Amino acid sequence: MKIRFVLSIVLVCLGLVAAILPQRQNSSMELDAKQLLNEIQLENYMISVDEMANALINNDPEYQLIDVRSEEAFKAYSLPGALNIPFEKLFDEAWAPYIDQVARKNVFYSNGTTLASEVWMLTRQKGFKNNYILRGGLNNWYATVLDPKEPVATDGEEAFFDYRARLGMKQFFTGEGTPASTSNVKAKKPVPRRKKKMVAGGCS
Amino acid sequence: MGPIIPLFEISEEINLLIAFLIGLGFGFALEQAGFSSSRKLAGMFYGYDITVLKVFFTAAITAMLGLLFMNYLGMIDMSIVYVNEYFMSSAIVGGVIMGAGFIIGGFCPGTSVCAAAIGKIDAMYFIGGSLIGILLFGQTYPLWEHLHNAQQLGSLKLSDTLGLPDGLLGLIVIVAAVGMFWIGEMAEKRFKREDISKEI
Amino acid sequence: MEMKGNKYMNPYLAGLMLGIVLLASFYLTGRGLGASGAMKSVVVSGVSTVSSEYAKNSHFYSKYLGGEYSPMKTWLVLEVLGVLIGGFISGAISGRLKFKLEKSPKITGRKRIWLAIIGGALFGFGSQLGRGCTSGAALSGMAVMSLAGYVTMMAIFGTAFALAYFFRKNWI
Repeated sequence: MKIRFVLSIVLVCLGLVAAILPQRQNSSMELDAKQLLNEIQLENYMISVDEMANALINNDPEYQLIDVRSEEAFKAYSLPGALNIPFEKLFDEAWAPYIDQVARKNVFYSNGTTLASEVWMLTRQKGFKNNYILRGGLNNWYATVLDPKEPVATDGEEAFFDYRARLGMKQFFTGEGTPASTSNVKAKKPVPRRKKKMVAGGCS
Repeated sequence: MGPIIPLFEISEEINLLIAFLIGLGFGFALEQAGFSSSRKLAGMFYGYDITVLKVFFTAAITAMLGLLFMNYLGMIDMSIVYVNEYFMSSAIVGGVIMGAGFIIGGFCPGTSVCAAAIGKIDAMYFIGGSLIGILLFGQTYPLWEHLHNAQQLGSLKLSDTLGLPDGLLGLIVIVAAVGMFWIGEMAEKRFKREDISKEI
Repeated sequence: MEMKGNKYMNPYLAGLMLGIVLLASFYLTGRGLGASGAMKSVVVSGVSTVSSEYAKNSHFYSKYLGGEYSPMKTWLVLEVLGVLIGGFISGAISGRLKFKLEKSPKITGRKRIWLAIIGGALFGFGSQLGRGCTSGAALSGMAVMSLAGYVTMMAIFGTAFALAYFFRKNWI
């Protein structure tokens, strides 16, 4: 008798709390703020312009450049082989197979790094992997690859080495006439979404 | 974050070991509650012993509240947890047949296993009957296949169907259960059967 | 040792214990409890042993065959094995281990056995049609607020209450 009374009160109180608490939807894939902070501090989500340029020269299929600027900006100028996913369309279902995948390294870029960083944070928070940022964005790309500054004599030997390599890159990206063409921008089709692992249950 | 085994892709062997351990707890709780006695179970329907109501609803509510709070605290991803698929007609027709089986046989499958474990002979025959029933269903499956698969409505939740938040529905279920406990205990006094309660 | 008439655990506490087991099952494995599914596994593997060709051609049996594991090495079978042993341990602790045919003194043992077989058969049949029994569909389903769980629960208990009058002589 007494147990029923106590249990009833406890259950109703807990039920009231449960009813007052806001609805919440957890996703096991998502990262919390602390984990995200850790990753940001590690800074290994950055890809340098040199690394990217080398990858492009070598036609490395591991890298997928993703332009997160607007469509107009993308049409005006873009890096070779880049895919345009404008910021506001980031979480469109159609793009999900490109940003939530495990096969390639996605390299986000914008003019500076602000927009690309925002995109990276959003995707990382969702738990998507293999996403990176082009360090310094297009501005840095232009300054480093397309218009490298000759080092002064006091700079180390390494600087000269880099400079020579960059001249070669410049030759590659400008010498062949079309530094960045939009001709290879194909309208990508949506791909069926991969599903989360589901559990069986009940009595079947 | 849970559920642990599907999320961390733990091996099937561990999963089966966990199944066994959970079964141990399940069987122990059922037997301690007195679900190993058919006359105790049947008491539910004649009012002299409403243990079934008390145990069943306390368990369902405990787990429900636990899941609600775990979800709120970010301890479980409810999108992975299995929600029974709803096939309207087969759920109702199947439930009606099971209800008839319950009042005639005095057990349900889980309780019959638990009762057989402590030597209840009626429970052993009940298990034998269940196997016959399942075999019968399997042998005549083409007759029921349509009914079995008709009106598939997917993994529907009652809260979504009613358009209520999960927490509020939980509170409603709790209030209803508390009311039933109270009425049930009054019924236990009114339909008291000392002769039966003494034996079971 | 325990007082007479109070030999079982308090039902609310037993319910709490059962609820915690159920919650642990959801937290660890993402699924609830079950019982009839294990019995189905027994039937499926039995039929498959008698004639595997026949079982593979049946729309019903074939659903549970051909997986990576045999139908006897599944989650529910192991869980029900646990129920068997857990029940035994509990019975041993509380001194309830005894072969006994439990029935109302008003009916014969033979009648009780027939009722148990018929009731079992109905429950077995119904659990296949309704995709789960009291534990798999009703109890586990209610904990996750599944509509199927509540409908099955009401159908089972509603029918049992409705028919209780007609079978009262067997019980009281």
